[in-house]
Amino acid sequence: MVADAAAPSAPTVVEDCLTPGHCVLRVEALEKGFRRGLPPRRRQIDVLSGASLMVCSGELVGLVGENGSGKSTLMEIVVGLLGRDGGEVDRRGRLGYCPQVPMLWDKLTVDEHFRLFARAYGLDDDARERSVADLLVELRFERYRRYRVEELSGGTRQKLNLALALMHEPQLLLLDEPYSGFDWETYLRFWEMAERRRAGGMGILIVSHFLSERDRLDRVYELKDGKAVLA
Amino acid sequence: MTALAATSGSFVREQLRAPLTLALLVAVPAFFVLIFAGVLGTFAEALGGTLADRSATAISAGWAAAFLSGALGFFQVSSSRGADRRLASAGLGAFRVAVARISASLLLAATVSAVAFATPWLRSGIGHPLHAAVAIFAFAAIYIGIGAVVGAFVTGALEGSLLVMLFWSLDAFSGPQMTSSGGGALTPTRDAANLLIAAGAGQGSPEVDWLGVLAVTVVALAAALAAFWCTARTRSA
Repeated sequence: MVADAAAPSAPTVVEDCLTPGHCVLRVEALEKGFRRGLPPRRRQIDVLSGASLMVCSGELVGLVGENGSGKSTLMEIVVGLLGRDGGEVDRRGRLGYCPQVPMLWDKLTVDEHFRLFARAYGLDDDARERSVADLLVELRFERYRRYRVEELSGGTRQKLNLALALMHEPQLLLLDEPYSGFDWETYLRFWEMAERRRAGGMGILIVSHFLSERDRLDRVYELKDGKAVLA
Repeated sequence: MTALAATSGSFVREQLRAPLTLALLVAVPAFFVLIFAGVLGTFAEALGGTLADRSATAISAGWAAAFLSGALGFFQVSSSRGADRRLASAGLGAFRVAVARISASLLLAATVSAVAFATPWLRSGIGHPLHAAVAIFAFAAIYIGIGAVVGAFVTGALEGSLLVMLFWSLDAFSGPQMTSSGGGALTPTRDAANLLIAAGAGQGSPEVDWLGVLAVTVVALAAALAAFWCTARTRSA
């Protein structure tokens, strides 16, 4: 595993998962920078400079850091929405991704979103209907099935955003601030759902901001100066 | 239904569920043909061109189809960038998302072309209706490409739609028989405009114009496919 060169005494990642072969995500020495602006005001912004972390199956791992520290960038690189400048990403199994800002089509209904993603995940009609019915009950938005996204509140959009990431029961789930816009009850229900899935063997990496959540998590990485250190 | 057909159908529904878009699909061709075509001949004369009345009516239908298709092509890319990439990364793949997008765009282009064709045809008739229909669809398909390529590079809705409009204005006002300068040689719709001007006047067109239209349309659609693919593509982890 890659050591943290800038802070050799700080732990960066755990050595390995307790059960060999159950690592669902291993990120090593990830580097990413962005070039912004036009000459002569063009500048390079280095966001990640050697970030490493690991998620095992059956683990709920937190990723914290200040605004702009690179949490969403790291998630997007793992999903494949962004390229990386350096480092390695080793991902195993089915992936579920819930982006920070819901990536949805405003004019399509909730049901149409489920149908489109079910096809992308390779679910047949029966599997889709079972999975969707459970998620609609769990997140309590059954009555919005025929609503277009543009007609939904922010919180209900976020429920759909989360449900799309969960409908194929992924082995690795990446959640980028998945509860923004949730009311308190939904927020608590979200954690129950996450803990149930962890117990079922899902590996979950979640971007979190609240100190109060740390005791719900198996491990927490803090992104600081482009590196992930165990907090 | 295959994943591709279902995705394409969803993308078409997404566009057609905007009531203003539907209204504009009818209003813009009608506006161009009924109002703009009446002064297009005079305008061309002022620029040194020689556009005749019936040809002006026909070409205004082509420009209407081009304008609407350019805007639709741009918004097919820019308005759903994040959701398309998420769908591709969920397993559908960038190529299938791109093919679904271009199928939806072509269906919308065919609808726009049909409305644009019907307006002058019902108003005053077209000498060569089949040639005119092909040429109007070529205008639409070429502008799907231009709109999609602009959408792939420009993320802002205002900047992108202004850029599509700039291309369209330059193309329209420097096209065949619009000016005496001969600048039309470089415009992407030159051959489609030649076909449409001839069809409006009831004349056939030389083979070179047909080949030119075919070549530019194929290149434009390939560029659109590449633009849709670039927008939806994911990087391997």
